[in-house]
Amino acid sequence: MSAVDTRVNLGGIALRNPVLTASGTFGYGGEFAPFFDLEQIGGIVAKSLTLEPRQGNLPPRIAETPAGMLNAIGLENVGVDAFIAEKLPALSAGVAVVASVFETEIDRYAEVCKRLTGAPKVVGLEINASCPHVKSGGIEFGQRAEVLAQLVRATRQATSLPLLVKLSPNVTDIREMAKVCEGEGADALSLVNTLQALDVDVATRRPVLRNVLGGLSGPAIRPVALRMVFQASRAVKLPICGIGGIMTAEDAVKFLICGASAVQVGTANYLNPMAALEVARGIAAYASAQGFARVADLVGSIELPR
Amino acid sequence: MNPTLPLRADARVAENRCEGGANHRLRLAIDGWPGARPGHFVMLSPGARGAAPRFDPLLPRPMAVYRTLPGAVPEIEVLYKATGRGTQLLAEARAGECVRVVGPLGVPFALPERGQRALLVGGGTGIASLYELASQARARGPVAVLLGARSAGDLMGADDFAALGVELRVATEDGSRGRRGLVTELLEAALAEPGPTAVVYACGPTPMMRRAGEIAAAHGARCEVSLENRMACGFGVCLGCAVPRADGTIALVCRDGPVFDAAAVGWANVP
Ligand SMILES: Cc1cc2nc3c(=O)[nH]c(=O)nc-3n(C[C@H](O)[C@H](O)[C@H](O)COP(=O)(O)O)c2cc1C
Ligand code: FES
Repeated sequence: MSAVDTRVNLGGIALRNPVLTASGTFGYGGEFAPFFDLEQIGGIVAKSLTLEPRQGNLPPRIAETPAGMLNAIGLENVGVDAFIAEKLPALSAGVAVVASVFETEIDRYAEVCKRLTGAPKVVGLEINASCPHVKSGGIEFGQRAEVLAQLVRATRQATSLPLLVKLSPNVTDIREMAKVCEGEGADALSLVNTLQALDVDVATRRPVLRNVLGGLSGPAIRPVALRMVFQASRAVKLPICGIGGIMTAEDAVKFLICGASAVQVGTANYLNPMAALEVARGIAAYASAQGFARVADLVGSIELPR
Repeated sequence: MNPTLPLRADARVAENRCEGGANHRLRLAIDGWPGARPGHFVMLSPGARGAAPRFDPLLPRPMAVYRTLPGAVPEIEVLYKATGRGTQLLAEARAGECVRVVGPLGVPFALPERGQRALLVGGGTGIASLYELASQARARGPVAVLLGARSAGDLMGADDFAALGVELRVATEDGSRGRRGLVTELLEAALAEPGPTAVVYACGPTPMMRRAGEIAAAHGARCEVSLENRMACGFGVCLGCAVPRADGTIALVCRDGPVFDAAAVGWANVP
């Protein structure tokens, strides 16, 4: 097996390999220190942060579904200031951190971005657009093109860091949303976030989650995520970080082939805390076995019928 | 907090047997297992790790470490009931196959003070959290284990507790073994007996633990409960296992528990 160049560039973020961890599935990183050295993956995306610490929803917050899970955690997080003061210093110096931001108002999003800009180890920001927008009556920021445009514009102005926008998959046409982000100066796209979903218990006729609706993640959503990455990658020039149901290196390679420049491992971290490391190693092994000198050459290499 | 760092391992199934009805006992050999304290748990991925990776059912199951058997390759025992999708699949794992384990996890029980009387109240699979506690509490003072089940056939681990030489009292709802009634009635009676200060430990269905906490409080006894909850990760990153504390703040069962002071739990919103 010859050495493969695993480096990729994600909208101005130079990554040692294309594997990041998905926001909300990796805590603040330190929780994984017992399992592996975080400098061996491309980087981590931390739990989404708000301006102030927030408490989440009442239980039950999660439920298992066929090859997937539902969650409605709420906005629970330690807040941006505690993240900078306590969580970032706990990580070793070589860990690349993408800080994720969610809020309920656009100016609050911008303020969180400002505070994160310049923080040590933070190499980029990811705007989580799957958050309910209070002023639009609770519809997700990422579900309306005008609101998404305002959000990207405001956060773009608030930071000089590479700006990733994480799109909601709960839209009619992901290409339209991708173009909005490109037009407003985003550096890259992350897709997808969880799919809005519902399950009920037939014994009690109650929803399985206290919040009624939840977000579906895991292998169950992978083909949908792959389709969205494929469509978006053909609609815009922005690099894309593919997310959704990646459990193995083979799954990750599919996202690269369909146009993603990097990937995020999410739910897999729960069942296997070493999943991200295994995916990173497996991608290099695949590239080598297939005769690719650089992992970057896999990106968008899909062979379509003529 | 948890002083033992968890590991992720492919554990080898040494034995996996049905002990009547849905009750199963699984013995796993885990290279490098650091040992566990009473109340620790593991996350166990139910499907055997075969050639093709399997992701349905997706999530690992939290399981109490029933006991540790030291040795060149340490072994742990887990008791479970094969009642759901995951546990039925787990029941199919054969000796020699591997299952993924992450652990030990969680905050363990605080052992009784010297001279205190320990009253251990177990129901259902909750009984599995109490064996190591009973074993270690013996050195501190008198121990009584109170076990509850629907009927004699549902009872887990009773013979093991008896073999420890601790006092064992059983209640079944149908009266097929021990006293007919609820295990919390055994607790009421035990606390009414004269003797040294008691400390209560409870693990089982939520209503049972809540009631045990109330009974203990009424007798001025401290009560620790080991909560069960849906869990995706077991080590504090999914935030899925949240329960409210009595003061309204949120605790994570996997990281801040599973052992809590019964008086600190916001029972009204524990599922
Ligand atoms: C319990 C849970 C919490 C999550 N929290 C966040 C979050 O705070 N911010 C965010 O952008 N995405 C969050 N996500 C979405 C994931 O980052 C990811 O986009 C999604 O789960 C799909 O990927 P997966 O199938 O690999 O998990 C969360 C997902 C889960 C399961
Ligand atoms: S089970 Fe994931 S945080 Fe507790």
